[in-house]
Amino acid sequence: MKIPLRLAKREDLRIIGVEPVAEAELCSRTLELMGEFRAFARSFSVMLETCTGCGACAKACHSYLGTDDFFNIPAARAGLLRRIFSRYFTWSGRVLGRFSGAAEFGPGTLDSWVDYFYQCNACRRCAKFCPFGIDTGEIVLAGRTILTRLGRAPAFMVNIARNELTTGNNTGILKPAIIDSCSFLEEELLEETGLEIRIPVDKPNTEILYLPSSSELFVNSDTLMGAAKLFHYLGVDWTLSSTLLEAANYGLLFDLDVMKKHNNRMRIAATAVGAEKVVMGECGHGWRAAKMYSEGANGPFPFQLTHILELVTERLPDLNLTKLPIRATLHDPCNYGRGAGLVEEPRKIMHACVEDFTEMTPNRDRNFCCGGGGGLLMDEMTEIRMELGKEKSEQIRRLLPLDYIALPCASCKAQFPLLLKHYGMGEVRTGGVLDLVGRSLVLNRQQDERTSPQDCLGG
Amino acid sequence: MPQLWVNGKEIELSEEGFMVHPELWSEDVARAFAEGEHIAKLTDDHWKVIYYVREYYQRFRIAPMIRKLCKDTGLQLKEIESLFPSGPAKGACKLAGLPKPTGCL
Repeated sequence: MKIPLRLAKREDLRIIGVEPVAEAELCSRTLELMGEFRAFARSFSVMLETCTGCGACAKACHSYLGTDDFFNIPAARAGLLRRIFSRYFTWSGRVLGRFSGAAEFGPGTLDSWVDYFYQCNACRRCAKFCPFGIDTGEIVLAGRTILTRLGRAPAFMVNIARNELTTGNNTGILKPAIIDSCSFLEEELLEETGLEIRIPVDKPNTEILYLPSSSELFVNSDTLMGAAKLFHYLGVDWTLSSTLLEAANYGLLFDLDVMKKHNNRMRIAATAVGAEKVVMGECGHGWRAAKMYSEGANGPFPFQLTHILELVTERLPDLNLTKLPIRATLHDPCNYGRGAGLVEEPRKIMHACVEDFTEMTPNRDRNFCCGGGGGLLMDEMTEIRMELGKEKSEQIRRLLPLDYIALPCASCKAQFPLLLKHYGMGEVRTGGVLDLVGRSLVLNRQQDERTSPQDCLGG
Repeated sequence: MPQLWVNGKEIELSEEGFMVHPELWSEDVARAFAEGEHIAKLTDDHWKVIYYVREYYQRFRIAPMIRKLCKDTGLQLKEIESLFPSGPAKGACKLAGLPKPTGCL
């Protein structure tokens, strides 16, 4: 299926350091880039040479289950790259050609890569069910990086990467707006709690640098307020950075060079405020990029790296949490459950914060993606994203009635409200895990008087 | 490429349908956008939101935080959503002549 993805213009690609390749050189350059990947990541060639086409991945993939398109079966998706790899990089492909499943690079090759690599959320659920552990998510991310270097990248991602490289955050928020928004949230916190809870920006000589999702300064402000309440309660010395107001790293999703450059901002921002510890906020792929790729990209870093949900879990015995009288579930972001091992922590927190915590099935490392991961949040993909989220919507429907779905990832936070509305469940509230921590943390007496879910979830 | 004609002049739009030159904004531009956003008539509440978003953008080069928009205009999020069916981040920003907000939104 052809997708309506808008590709970036040449001039925009140049801003992020990509020089588009001329039409006549596409084939040779593609093969060169594949060769570079093969030399750089052994897993790339191992995964391309190993698939037996058994089909175990088909039913594991929410993209195939939601769209019913053959090429959205992970083995078939990766096959679009595998057959070219086979033709030019394997003995059998060179000699036996199409009889061994190989294919020549042709005029439609790159179009098919764009169409199917961008219907994958890179959730890695296929890898969980593949008898060989072939990770089609990884093949897709490699394929996307190759496409970007050839000059084919989504306008949405290129725009975000430009913001990351110039302002240090996806949304493109500059320091005066950061200060204004944080001051406003401090007033809100004062009004709500009667306490002077601070959200410091660029505070020097600070122990902890906190990296939220920049979307928290636009739409998901309850998540940042939850973090501020937590740090206040614990008496932690913390700050935000105006040069890195972002846990996300879109480079991981379409261009490893961008990933590396944005990742290095962590060192610069942490050094600027003298932080000994960098705490990452609620962002799925950003946590995976930071935890799993920092060392190889720019490491070692002179600070400790942790996730805020790990920090909350560690300090649970010190927190006075009152259980909110709501029925809530947790959606495991793919990049936590299958990407960077953050599985039990959010559950422990949920149990401490709500009276009725219920698990969706399947969960943890077998959870289905919501359909918004892997950077597919662009508007033109909304219709397809609803198909990609079909399995998720069915998981949620089985749990109704529900008051709240906890989503510790900004992509999930953007996708879920649309998905729930689309499948007729718009009444269910969504937000972060930290939002709940902020609401159940007993900072003053008034909180004990709340009795209804509306009181607890704010209106 | 989407187009918008206002008083006989063409207003340049991005591929996503937002203004390329926010400085060329006028109330007539907002009215012209309203039709495509399924807004039958722009009421006082619409203008309150539009002018708030626009003034914030002129000062800070970014759209205001939604929570702040609600607080300062005295409108609930649900009210703003019914004023601008495609939501405050997209509909209100578009009518106020801002570029499209980007990020995990």
